Amino acid sequence: MTQPLESNVLPWRILWALGIHSAAIIAYQLTLIQLISYMQGYHFAYMVISIAMLGFGASGTFLALFRSWLIGNHSWLIPALMAITAIMMATVFMGSLHPAIRFDAYLLFVDKAQFLTLAVQYLLFFLPFFSGALAIGILFIRYPGAIGKSYFSNLLGSGLGGLLVLFLLARFFPERALSIIALMAVSPAVLAYHPTRKWLQAGLIVAALAVSLFSFQKQTHLPVSQYKSLSRTQNLPEARLIVRKPGTHGVIEVIESPALRYAPALSFNFSGQVPVKPSVFVNADYYGSVHSLVADQTHIYNYTTENLLYAALKPQKVLIAGAGTAPGMAHALFNGASKVVAVIENPGVKNLIAHELYAATDARELPPQARLVYSDVRQYLYQNAQGQYDAIILPRQESFGGSIGIHALREEYALTLEAFGQMWKMLSPQGAISITSWIDFPARTTLKTAITLMETLKNQGIENPGEHLAVVRSWGTMTFLLKKNPWQQEQKQNILDFCQEMLFDVVFLPGTDREVLPVYNILEDQDLEEILGKIFADDYAQLLKEYPFYLFPATDNKPYFSRFMRAETLPRLRTLFGVENLPFLELGYMILWVTLLQSTLLAFFLILLPLFRLKKTGGGKIPVLVYFGALGIGYMFVEIIFIQRFVLYFGHPVYAITAVIGTMLIASGAGSLMSGKLMKGNHRFYLPVVAISLILLLYGFLLTPVLTLTIGLPFAWKVAIALALIAIPGFFMGMPFPLGISWLNQTFPGHIPWAWGINGCLSVIASSLATLLAVEFGFRIVIYAAAICYGAASLVYLRQKPTL
Amino acid sequence: MSFEAIVPYNHPMLNSMYTTILQRFFAILLLLLPLLLSGQNHQRQRAEMVESQIRSRGIRHQATLEAMNRVPRHLYVPSNQQRFAYDDRPLPIGWGQTISQPYIVAFMTEVIQPRSDFRVLEIGTGSGYQAAVLAEIVAHVYTIEIVEPLGLQARQLLERHYSNVSVKIADGYYGWEEHGPFDAIVVTAAAEYIPPPLIEQLKDGGRMIIPVGSPFRVQQLMLIEKKDGRITSRSLMPVRFVPFTSSSSN
Repeated sequence: MTQPLESNVLPWRILWALGIHSAAIIAYQLTLIQLISYMQGYHFAYMVISIAMLGFGASGTFLALFRSWLIGNHSWLIPALMAITAIMMATVFMGSLHPAIRFDAYLLFVDKAQFLTLAVQYLLFFLPFFSGALAIGILFIRYPGAIGKSYFSNLLGSGLGGLLVLFLLARFFPERALSIIALMAVSPAVLAYHPTRKWLQAGLIVAALAVSLFSFQKQTHLPVSQYKSLSRTQNLPEARLIVRKPGTHGVIEVIESPALRYAPALSFNFSGQVPVKPSVFVNADYYGSVHSLVADQTHIYNYTTENLLYAALKPQKVLIAGAGTAPGMAHALFNGASKVVAVIENPGVKNLIAHELYAATDARELPPQARLVYSDVRQYLYQNAQGQYDAIILPRQESFGGSIGIHALREEYALTLEAFGQMWKMLSPQGAISITSWIDFPARTTLKTAITLMETLKNQGIENPGEHLAVVRSWGTMTFLLKKNPWQQEQKQNILDFCQEMLFDVVFLPGTDREVLPVYNILEDQDLEEILGKIFADDYAQLLKEYPFYLFPATDNKPYFSRFMRAETLPRLRTLFGVENLPFLELGYMILWVTLLQSTLLAFFLILLPLFRLKKTGGGKIPVLVYFGALGIGYMFVEIIFIQRFVLYFGHPVYAITAVIGTMLIASGAGSLMSGKLMKGNHRFYLPVVAISLILLLYGFLLTPVLTLTIGLPFAWKVAIALALIAIPGFFMGMPFPLGISWLNQTFPGHIPWAWGINGCLSVIASSLATLLAVEFGFRIVIYAAAICYGAASLVYLRQKPTL
Repeated sequence: MSFEAIVPYNHPMLNSMYTTILQRFFAILLLLLPLLLSGQNHQRQRAEMVESQIRSRGIRHQATLEAMNRVPRHLYVPSNQQRFAYDDRPLPIGWGQTISQPYIVAFMTEVIQPRSDFRVLEIGTGSGYQAAVLAEIVAHVYTIEIVEPLGLQARQLLERHYSNVSVKIADGYYGWEEHGPFDAIVVTAAAEYIPPPLIEQLKDGGRMIIPVGSPFRVQQLMLIEKKDGRITSRSLMPVRFVPFTSSSSN
């Protein structure tokens, strides 16, 4: 049996090196996600990074297999690996852009050769995480006596790395941020320098500096997938990039071209000139077109179903919730609104619209009755709950031609039942909510929108929901109006006149016999209108159970409005549409499953491999697997759920991620530091994991109510509450890992690398598993699952009864 | 008949000459054989494509079926995609574009009910395949491509095989007024709106067809009809989706 290593005092410069090294790894990971999101899309970034992160797990496996040699040479290996990590950070990304191995995610399901390039990309991105985690793992295992301090340094550094990324991405383009991080990653190698094999270390450090400086000064052109809207727009004649700015929400770009126009589902009755407008892109995805903010001409939207609101009613106070590039503002002003508030959720876009682009398109001031606000929509609703609006306009849903389901995993808190309830309360007696959707096939978004509006009305105790709804469609879009009071006859006539003039069709209008109305846009498949008829007749219970797509309205507990996939329907859809077309139905959901499966398979392999070496080193394998696996899953579950809950709380994913990751890691670091002192000689070794279980169980019941109660408070108060709510479990969650390592050091020191690997592997699986569970069952279930994980860890303690 | 009967063994010079000629003939045959076989192979694949992907899905317009059988689709895809040319799916052709699935091309062709005297406008030449299929049937195809490299490539290919196709590299928004009005308009490069000039250039009684979907999946096809000055749209589904197994008929 391997003898336990003696406890060592870790020099401060090594702790600093570890902290900076950890910060660099996390900052690199987050920046890489931004870069791949920009070039390919967020879901593919997620997929690639999940494999890259298995580098952590693989480092544990490697350590378990080659422990003696690695630990025996730790003094020069640690700085060498840190320098290698910096080299990888500077070179791997540039290498991945080489045309021979360049990957286009959109071709993955069309061109089998892309699987090979994907595998190469996986390997490339895997390397820096592997070398980085190996350095950390060697350090943990070589100095188990100082695990509390080293884990604290690791966690604190990781937390600060997350904050660093926010700072960098706000000021630098992601490719430049990456090279800055690579430069930063050289310093740990210098700090951890050891006289053994000095020339090797010196050579690696110099090489790391050289490549990092080279990548910093090099202008990297980022190849965007040819199927992303930015690329396709750049192919237009005389396309010109007029703005490019970095941002924490993504890179903002504006392109102009004489061929760029936007007029969603324009009426056939329009005979004028569709105006040419520049387009805004965020992370290479179309965000909106730049319209005049001043109403001095016919607005093109007057010839779309979105004008239904103004045709039926004459709203004076208009709220445009999630205004994108605010084309609705001029539309509202043109139609006589006396007060228009446009809430834009991207601060960079809001500033661009208000200051730069506006000045480029119109030389006048924003009219006094118009206001551009940067805020999350739900936050705005909470903070302005007393406001009264005649119209609340939501962003257009889906996209022309279908979004292929890439938004399936996006939390859309502005489209939950709770959000509609808030909006309802803010409507004046004659007010209405307007929501427009592109008509998708098979029908999903339109149906879910209809059901959500019906459920909203029923939640408000409205007995005849149909009296409050009007729905109109063109050849491409469908607009729903949800009115506070029942429709009046004059308003209904206005709607009919509007439809006749614009060649639109009435889908639903209470008291109207559609059979006598002319049909301008014939649907070959009558199912859509039949089903909508049933929904508006409040007969959709069977539909919710049997429809091949998921149509239940989104709630704050499951805010995935664009999630439609049902696993049980997959075989039928495959038969109907063909296996090649299936990914283009609901790509986001399928990518999540692919990510989960591939990381599970690889993790399984990585965890099993060391067992062949360990079988001779005695028992304890099951407890190690359960304990460290449970910690890896539980920690990640809590982190992800906290991020999702606090996105709603702060109304800003950036603030949420900063608060959660920063606080959790720092609090866990503090817990790690205290763990040894608190538990020394204490037989009740299991107390921290039991405490975590109980706290999480409590949070399952109380977290959402507490957040709901306090969400309207001033920002400073919310920050304090959030820090407390996160830090309490976070502190305790920092203890079990170092305590477990200390325990292993005394009983089965040979298992320590394997434990590190298990923890790393299962953390990676947990990130996609948590999202899947949240999408399927809601956030609360994930918190309970995390509580169960820590409960399982406490059972290990109770059986093993370790002491320190 | 023996070789000796063909080549008199007792004449060495003739023997040598005949041998050389025969050797060279067989060598050339061996060289050309893959080409001959490949041509027959593509033809076979085309016939199979028409039967299994197009006719079996209900396309009945004879001229369309014949055109699909004649046009060598593999010439309209990049060389690295040629082995998939007759597969039942769209294929990438670069610049963020795809060549449509064969069935969709056939469907769109049939829907506009093409006749031999038709003048057809196509917006979005892309690979040129749809224009080639149309050119087999109608009097003249006018096709516009906004992406210059694609347009030039398609022009080269189409003008080599067809004298009744005109390719223009321009913004399709404005149509091709000088050659209008058109009996049919095929808008393969669909946008979020239907440009008013195209409606203007559609003949009364004419049909416009627009596929709606992502590059790799066509969700539906919009058929725009102009009759007595009135415009109507009809949404057609290439793949019928029946939401409930016990209701709605195909």
